[in-house]
Amino acid sequence: MEWAWLIPVFSFASALLIVVFGRSLPSKGAFLSILAIALGFAGFWVVLISWMGADTTTSGCFTSENTHLLTCDYERTWFNAGAVGDVGSVSINWGILIDPLTIAVLGLVTFVALMVQIYSLAYMKGDTRFGWYFAIHSLFAAAMLTLVLADNFLLLYVAWELVGICSYLLIGFWHERSSAREAAKKAFIVTRIGDVGLLVGILLIWREVGTFSMLDAFEAVRTGAMSEGVTTVAALLLFLGAMGKSAQMPFHVWLPDAMEGPTPVSALIHAATMVIAGVYLVARAFPLFEAYDADALMVVSVVGLVTAFVAATIALVATDLKRILAYSTISHLGLMMLSLGAFGVTAAVFHMMAHGFSKALLFLGAGSVLHSTEFQETGEMGGLRKVMPITAILFSIGALSLGGIPILAGFWSKDEILIAVNEHHNVAFIVLTLFTAMLSALYMGRAMFLVFFGPLKEQNEHAHESPLPMTLPMLLLGILALGFGLISFNWPGNYGGFGTFIYFLHPHEFHFEIWLGAVSIVLAVASFIAAYLFYVKRSISLDTVRSNFAGILNVVENKYYFDEVYQWTIDRVVLVLSRLIAFFDRAIVNDIIVNGPADVTRKFGIALRLHVTGHVYSYILAMAIGSVGLALFVWWRVA
Amino acid sequence: MVDLVWFQLLSAILFVIGLYGVMARRSAVLIIMSIELMLNAVNINLIAAASHMEGTGKFSDFDGQLIAIFIITVAAAEVGLALAIILRMFKNRSTVNVDEINLMKW
Repeated sequence: MEWAWLIPVFSFASALLIVVFGRSLPSKGAFLSILAIALGFAGFWVVLISWMGADTTTSGCFTSENTHLLTCDYERTWFNAGAVGDVGSVSINWGILIDPLTIAVLGLVTFVALMVQIYSLAYMKGDTRFGWYFAIHSLFAAAMLTLVLADNFLLLYVAWELVGICSYLLIGFWHERSSAREAAKKAFIVTRIGDVGLLVGILLIWREVGTFSMLDAFEAVRTGAMSEGVTTVAALLLFLGAMGKSAQMPFHVWLPDAMEGPTPVSALIHAATMVIAGVYLVARAFPLFEAYDADALMVVSVVGLVTAFVAATIALVATDLKRILAYSTISHLGLMMLSLGAFGVTAAVFHMMAHGFSKALLFLGAGSVLHSTEFQETGEMGGLRKVMPITAILFSIGALSLGGIPILAGFWSKDEILIAVNEHHNVAFIVLTLFTAMLSALYMGRAMFLVFFGPLKEQNEHAHESPLPMTLPMLLLGILALGFGLISFNWPGNYGGFGTFIYFLHPHEFHFEIWLGAVSIVLAVASFIAAYLFYVKRSISLDTVRSNFAGILNVVENKYYFDEVYQWTIDRVVLVLSRLIAFFDRAIVNDIIVNGPADVTRKFGIALRLHVTGHVYSYILAMAIGSVGLALFVWWRVA
Repeated sequence: MVDLVWFQLLSAILFVIGLYGVMARRSAVLIIMSIELMLNAVNINLIAAASHMEGTGKFSDFDGQLIAIFIITVAAAEVGLALAIILRMFKNRSTVNVDEINLMKW
């Protein structure tokens, strides 16, 4: 396990090699990137197996007082600022922290990244920047894995920003399109707003604890060295960063636009990995959030719930296939946050993984459809199951899984969330969560039926099934979306379900709330049937429903005017303020303080140089008069 | 023996003639000649003072004469240098008129 740091290093090395030697390598170095992430995936298994074999006697391992999980921490000093041991000296470390949370996310990231990179081989074939694409993919994988493994906030922050810049580069990958450029900038700037909060939070913790180490921070909270106020504020600041990265309201606006990037990028970064960094951060820093009265967690759950609900309603009316999936991602990220807010770390991480596999599958399926039909609007599709059956089946598995149809992974993870919410929050929460889950099934059904069912349009008759490098990753993800729920049960032997692998303080065995499960099954199945009736049979007229809810629909279809509010704020507040500051800078700082003295000097110079006539006799005359004057002065003084 | 004041008067007259020459002449060569005149006026003054005041304690050990010889030496070196400059000036600008030599002026 000490060698787990190699996992991101492989990908870093591959990114570097592709950038430097990519042109002269076969397939422009794509195989290096895939090899690196495959090694990373192998590394995940090594870590998992050695963690399972480890106990508190293993070097670096101990049972954390803060989570009661077997935690392994390997730390090296990076550099010391000031002499070691001096007051005010800071020692900056880098290290890896391995506990079940790390391992779970490690598995998710390496597996999905591996699948998406294989998929990209076919999807990006012939692109002019094929090598560059894989270089950033590798860099992203490296940064994301560093983020997951980091044992201190500083390293986490570095990786956090690195995944941000990779996201920016990949969203703007086709930067010839102005919409892609705009989307990339939007994504970067909006997440930066949250990142500032994260940085301030990290510095606040550092000020209180004196180190960046996460374990030390948790320890300080547990022993009470960090006061209630500071802890809550720090947790909320960290959550601000998480909100930006995980596209929580009101910072969710960048994620739908991020769909401008290539579809595999959306699958990897904007569905399965980078956007879960926020959820991961909250889960990682859970002792901070949970400390004292867990005030911060209340904020987390409310933000999560509102996000989940609002995004689900938008997903229901969006017409662009990728945007439907993007809003669905936002909604499910909200559910994960809600679950964390309800002390459901297990449920959140479980859902993170189930959703990651299912949503990556859905995006890859969408990519397969776009690749073959070159349409992105659901209105242009329909009946595609006749021409691309494998994609249709796999996409449906993903959709059913996210919609919460039993046996599929999404059902079990959603169920865990419902149980957590039910235990820790009031009735309003559980009702809204169930409603959101129902919406989730409805929009998933809508996407599935609109794209793959109904009559096939003439323009799509030439569409064909995607090649093997694209269908194989989808197939593997599909198997996981189908069967990942199995790991949540308590199997015979000493495995008591996912709740005994990842938990906070108390391991809990798998259990199933009959009434809750029944309600969610009924809602999910009913929603899919309703979607079928709406969009395939058309036996319920959409227009009647639309006219009945015209007012609400208008608001929802305009995405609750979030973009407009942002635009207004930027135009009327930010730009006005910026112009004021720019004026101050130009007029006061530049013209008066900087150019002012220069101007005065120059004007004096122009005036004074006039006495330099260049005539020798005038100088001599001046000298003579001066001498005589001086002589007279001395004579007068002496006499 | 002629009084010291006559020597000083002669020295002052020569000095002022030299000064006038420096200010009024345009030719660099004439200016140098005028400077020489001024230097020699000073020399006369020094030697006269030295020979008249010997033994009064104000001058001793041929101080005045020594300084005069020193000035002659420096003047010779200075003329050599100045004439070299003037020659270069003439070669480059075909004139020794100092009014036209104003490259360094603004």
